Amino acid sequence: MLALQTILDGLVLGGLYALAAVGFSLIFGVLGVVNLSHGAIVMIGAYLTWFAWHTTGLDPLLCIPPVMVVMFCAGYLYQRGLIQLAVDRSSLLASMLVTFGVALMLRNLLVLVFSPDFKSISAGWAFSFVRLGGGVTIDLVRISALGASLALLGALAYVLNHTRIGRVIRATAQQELAARLCGVNARHVYAVTFGVSAAFAGASGAILGIVLPFSPPDEANWTLNAFVVVVLGGVGSPSGALLGGLLLGLISTATSQLIGPAFPNAMMFLILVLMLMLMVRPAGLLGNAFAGSR
Amino acid sequence: MRFINEQGGVDIAGTRYQLELRLFDDASDPSRAVTLIQRLIDDNVDFFLGSFGSNIVLPTAAITERAEKPMVQAGGGSDQIFTQGNRYVFGMFPRATRQFQSTVAFFKTLNPQPNTFSVIATNDAFSKTFAAGIVKDMQAGGFQLIENYLLPEHISDASSVLASVRAKTPDMLLCAMHDQNSLLIARQMIATGTHVGLLFQGLGPQLASYREALGRHASGIFYSIYWDPRTTWNDPFFESAGKFAAYYARHNTRPIAYHVAAGAACIVTYVKAMQAAGSIDPVKVRDALAATDLETLYGRIRFTAEGDGDAVAMGPSVGQVLKGAGEVVYPAGGRTAELLWPVPAWDKKN
Repeated sequence: MLALQTILDGLVLGGLYALAAVGFSLIFGVLGVVNLSHGAIVMIGAYLTWFAWHTTGLDPLLCIPPVMVVMFCAGYLYQRGLIQLAVDRSSLLASMLVTFGVALMLRNLLVLVFSPDFKSISAGWAFSFVRLGGGVTIDLVRISALGASLALLGALAYVLNHTRIGRVIRATAQQELAARLCGVNARHVYAVTFGVSAAFAGASGAILGIVLPFSPPDEANWTLNAFVVVVLGGVGSPSGALLGGLLLGLISTATSQLIGPAFPNAMMFLILVLMLMLMVRPAGLLGNAFAGSR
Repeated sequence: MRFINEQGGVDIAGTRYQLELRLFDDASDPSRAVTLIQRLIDDNVDFFLGSFGSNIVLPTAAITERAEKPMVQAGGGSDQIFTQGNRYVFGMFPRATRQFQSTVAFFKTLNPQPNTFSVIATNDAFSKTFAAGIVKDMQAGGFQLIENYLLPEHISDASSVLASVRAKTPDMLLCAMHDQNSLLIARQMIATGTHVGLLFQGLGPQLASYREALGRHASGIFYSIYWDPRTTWNDPFFESAGKFAAYYARHNTRPIAYHVAAGAACIVTYVKAMQAAGSIDPVKVRDALAATDLETLYGRIRFTAEGDGDAVAMGPSVGQVLKGAGEVVYPAGGRTAELLWPVPAWDKKN
């Protein structure tokens, strides 16, 4: 039963990781930009949801659509107004530095506006839970979070695979020049992609806010988690993010249960290093490729 | 500091001084804090208040110590701050391993008597040493340890630990971690129906935001009280803790927390030490600080030879959340409300 509880907890946590990472993955895959302000955007989503819930009493899950709209617009403007400028004037590396600087500014802005104190969103149903028998328990907040994550990831996958704008985004990611020759406004597509990414980051912030207490410094953790998920699951696809996120959630809870609660981060890092090694130096640091693979 | 300056400043050895506070944001980043402190030393700043968290106080105190400049701080309680031979570092709390003695004494007064306990700590300097102190003092008090869990410094999920707590339920669950993590644990306990007879969270329930987040479920949770505005200590500047709290409320919108009172007490302690030394020379003020024994809005200030707060004079009281507010339930002399014991299960609370 403990194994079942661990798997369930891992899947729920993984759903959160996946949703928080999908925007990062999309930007990385389409624009080639490592968005180091991703965690800060997640946090802004959490704070906007907290603000809407706190001032209007609206159920936090119902706050997600308006938060996504606001974040989409902000993301669109952020890309067109800042990131595209950095890419045009310098390189993708410059955009990484820009996003790092923006992350620092956003973090401090959140402290200024909302104070450094932690906040939490307690929906009316926040403390309900379901007993599945045999001592296995799962709370409604996390089930809702997993459900919302899967629904949003499914919607994104649908948009990317079955709509015109999705095809345009994928085409631009695969071959920008060819897309331009077909009449695609690549700059607009990049900004839309960034907007979609910000909207999903905002939605994940809303869901995280329902599940966890949060404060501005948490943004760094969510950027790091997104990076690990993308390395695990691959870039640019919702299904990759889902797979990477679920895997990370399972690794985290299984490590906590089998090795010790202090070790999930160490294990995540170890996996990341192993994956990086497989990608960069599959033959090992000093080894030669296996003869059969040459 | 604003209040003291509004009163015309302070008189030290016949000269009137206005106090100047230079405030910097270290973003809870130890490396940034070290750079900032070094810059202040280079700018000939003589007296330091600390940052928040032992992980920052430790490296910054090493720099002020080397420069022989006093640091009176209310942000770090880890034992390491006070056991490395530092002479210029003073703390408003007893070191972490000595902070639990009064709470063990309280547990022994409970009827029906709990017998077993588990500890959940996070992997940071303060929480780890605090947890070590809890285990030591609880076992010395005759209580039986079931499990000692260590979580990462930043928690996003504690479900596996709570599954283990449900499988091996102790009479008491004692949490050694910072505010945000405490709230996460409590929320997950409620949301998974993980009930223990007694939940103690060293940090967290002091804050209104914590109690609001848990609502009625917060009722009965125990915690350490480092300061309460209803205490009757005499302060040389504010007269009482209540008047200090009222002054704070007139100038701030954020609810007052013990950190604020402890920070103000650092400044009161500095000023009284300067007056006792008759000088603003850092070395002389350091000696006066070491000999400090005075009442402030925060309580009695007396340091050990190593610089941390005296465990008896500055040790915490035990608080319990009752009807959404924090109340003192131990020691009996300072009690502000009747103890709720035994504590009802989560779903029976109102």
